[in-house]
Amino acid sequence: MEFLLEIMTEELPSSHVKSALSQLEEKFSQELTAARIGIKNLKTLGTCRRLVVLADLEAGQPDEEEIVAGPPKHISFLADGNFSSAALGFARSQGIAVEKLEVIRIQKGEYLGFKRLKKGRAIEEIIGEKLPAIISSLTFPKNMRWGERSFCFSRPLKNLLCLFNGQVVPTEFEGLSSGNRTSGHFIHSPVELKVNNFAEYYQRLKENFVLIDPQERKQSILRQFQEKLAGLNAQVYPDEGLLEKLLWNVEHPLVIMGSFPEKYLNLPLEVLATAMREGQKLFSVVKGKRQLPYFLGIADAPADPKNFLASGNERVLKARLEDARFFWENDLKVQLSARVSYLKNVVFQEKLGSYGDKVERLQKLVAYLADRLDLKSDRKDLSEAARLCKADLLTGMVREFPELQGKMGGLYARKQRYSETISRAIYEHYLPLSLEDSVPESAGGAVLSFADKLDTIVGIFGVGFTISGSSDPFALRRNTHAICKIILEKKFHLSLSRTLDKTIGLLADRLTVPVDQLKKRCLEFFEGRLRFIFEKKGYRYDLINAALAPGIDYLDYAEARIKALNELKQSKNFEQFILMAKRVKNILKEVPKIKLDSALFKEKEENELYSALRIIQNNTEDLLARGDFAGAQKIVFRLQMPLNNFFDRVLVMAEDKKIRNNRLALLTQVQRLIQKIADYSQIVVESETK
Amino acid sequence: MSMQELFLKLYDFWSKQGCYIAPTYDLEVGAGTMTPDTFFRVLGKKPWKVAYVQPSRRPTDGRYGENPHRVQKHFQFQVIIKPSSANIQRIYLDSLTSLGINLSEHDLRFDEDDWESPTIGAWGVGWQVLLDGLEITQFTYFQQAGGLELYPVSVEITYGLERLEMFLQQKDNIYDLKWSDDVSYRDLRFQEEKEFSVYNFEQADCQMLQSWFSSAEKEAQRLINQNLLLPAYDLCLKCSHLFNLLDSRGGISVTERVKMIGQIRTLVNQIAKKFVEREGES
Repeated sequence: MEFLLEIMTEELPSSHVKSALSQLEEKFSQELTAARIGIKNLKTLGTCRRLVVLADLEAGQPDEEEIVAGPPKHISFLADGNFSSAALGFARSQGIAVEKLEVIRIQKGEYLGFKRLKKGRAIEEIIGEKLPAIISSLTFPKNMRWGERSFCFSRPLKNLLCLFNGQVVPTEFEGLSSGNRTSGHFIHSPVELKVNNFAEYYQRLKENFVLIDPQERKQSILRQFQEKLAGLNAQVYPDEGLLEKLLWNVEHPLVIMGSFPEKYLNLPLEVLATAMREGQKLFSVVKGKRQLPYFLGIADAPADPKNFLASGNERVLKARLEDARFFWENDLKVQLSARVSYLKNVVFQEKLGSYGDKVERLQKLVAYLADRLDLKSDRKDLSEAARLCKADLLTGMVREFPELQGKMGGLYARKQRYSETISRAIYEHYLPLSLEDSVPESAGGAVLSFADKLDTIVGIFGVGFTISGSSDPFALRRNTHAICKIILEKKFHLSLSRTLDKTIGLLADRLTVPVDQLKKRCLEFFEGRLRFIFEKKGYRYDLINAALAPGIDYLDYAEARIKALNELKQSKNFEQFILMAKRVKNILKEVPKIKLDSALFKEKEENELYSALRIIQNNTEDLLARGDFAGAQKIVFRLQMPLNNFFDRVLVMAEDKKIRNNRLALLTQVQRLIQKIADYSQIVVESETK
Repeated sequence: MSMQELFLKLYDFWSKQGCYIAPTYDLEVGAGTMTPDTFFRVLGKKPWKVAYVQPSRRPTDGRYGENPHRVQKHFQFQVIIKPSSANIQRIYLDSLTSLGINLSEHDLRFDEDDWESPTIGAWGVGWQVLLDGLEITQFTYFQQAGGLELYPVSVEITYGLERLEMFLQQKDNIYDLKWSDDVSYRDLRFQEEKEFSVYNFEQADCQMLQSWFSSAEKEAQRLINQNLLLPAYDLCLKCSHLFNLLDSRGGISVTERVKMIGQIRTLVNQIAKKFVEREGES
């Protein structure tokens, strides 16, 4: 039977609506299941003013057998077997014939008692009772109180509609009594509506300018977008995030279209898009890659016959663009380099000094990186880009639109005729902004981004900050991800360990954590993030362990290792080889360093293994130096046959200590070679798990 | 509708809602929220209803009279209802209707926008009200002021009068607004904006402002110790305005900024605490 709940509120933020709906779905399913009520087709709907739960519930709670326990068995009977006075008294108090009592074992022991059928309770009663607790249990990122109430919620509650099978489920909550009434659109049809079921609820709301189903609103928006753009042969610049947000902000979406004077097309696209999106939640209109002087917006209204909505938005957008133009022109009057000296007034972090200090360090760090990454010809430009990269923090535009940091610096630099390398590097140096975001396209941007982030990571750890599950105020996780992503995607081949040494050196006088400890913490942190990246790419955890064991000094090599393992895990030799590698590792547990002496070989198989090893060492040397781990691995697989023969025919633990140690030394060399590729012993193979 | 007609209509509307119409406060403030008619009255338990016009100074918003929308001084119409009434959103809509706005022809939205003023240790939850995309009002349920949890909760409705007028008069330039039938916004304010922009951005003497700030801060603390809370609060308002001026001169670093805001908040929090204690005794 149909259950319908609508909680009306004042306008909730769209992220709160979505979170509240998923919490409601979970709580209802939990609570009703716990109350043994059958539940089907549970779903949630809503808008910024309504949280709606719809479900098909069984008519009531099933009946349940219940045990009524009386006195313990040992005092229930007299010596002659007759009922004691305790038993008789219990029977009387329960209004049941004493003969009907029986001995029942319950958890506490044996008792005299009887069983009876407990009638299931009515749904209305159960829901009426649970609802207040369910609503109170909803949590939001930020809560408020209102009036004289101490109850906290995202925004004030206005009304409760709660129906089961057409009847009101009576309940009280925070001064509201549940009923069968709701109301239409708050502005455009503020009338009370009485409803008996969902079909009616849906229909009456629709007639009164509320589309309760978010999917229906989304379809309507997309259809209206198309209608508006049909004549222009243009497209909406896709912005799923904005669409998703606005979808929940409106009860009756109406797409409006407006234009702005063409002269504002001279502003950089980044500025236009930000003024439209951040400032006014409008969508850009493009034709291919070209921005057109139009916008689309989503209003909450039935219609705009007098064009008030479109022209109102036009006027506000024009004002914003005018302000942006003021910033653009005004900011350009000051050279970026002239702003740099003022960066000493902008604190980066109290113990790490100002942004002025930071850019001084960055200049040195990018020079170091340029030398090691074969970017020597860009060295001067990169150092200049590092000097200028934070200057835009002092511009009016970035103060107004902080999300344009970096981009504005790059745009101003280009306009002020700095080289393309410099402008691009500044423009891109905050990228990637998330795990999904792209890394800088230009090598300069990648180097500067790398340096900026590494300086932050080392600096913040170096003055004693730690991060925990929820607390990561300097976004060290994101920054470390970004560096890993840059190294891997830009194929930067450089020693992380030595780069850390350099970075630590540049920060030396500000650090409060001992250098060794700091470096260790940084490396562990990088390893953790790299592991996370590999897991996200779908690599098996044991392969990841094997690939990371030889160290993460060169991140590109760590990735080549995991790729090689992943590629070869299907080959027929793989499993045998792993078992062999494990055998070698086991036998070498706690073996001291011993020098190998081929003169001490006794058996043919020793000589064969040794010569195979030398050939394979020679053949893999280049491959390993190049990071071709798949190639090297294929060759190392050839050790299998001689190694097999060795284990079959030769007793490693020979009685003669000299000979025994020599054989162990031979195996140590084998181990050393294969561990250059991966720690194979970490890999789980099927024959072991069975 | 001219600017002054708008004042009169809003006074009329809110006075009929039972509000006391307060005279404009005679100190520089950044927002109507900061005057004693709001700050002290939202503290403690006593019910309160007030409405008033308050000029609000934000030195960094100055544009030398060249920007058609931004000014370093604008006018707010401030309403406080304590405790917040259940139908306050509807009453607010009625106030717009009383100005002749036919809401059924427009798109009026309550758009998430929480408010915070670290200087007076206050924050609240609410919305910016958008009318066809134009922000005309800030609507806030106060949760905390002077560092104290507020109970009961007050609702604050702050109309931006120039914005509302630009909507009502369909003007794209603030200076073209009619203040009365004969006097324009330009007549009254253009020269002021120009001169104050020069003062705020270029001429204000940072050293002098700094020294005034520390004098006012010391004096406020002395007055708090004497339990002269209202004069002490006035001095906090002075500190706040001096701070804003220094900020528009670009004379404060980020650390200093945090420090100065912290200094004012410490004073304001002491005042709030003592004020509530005193009210409890009476």
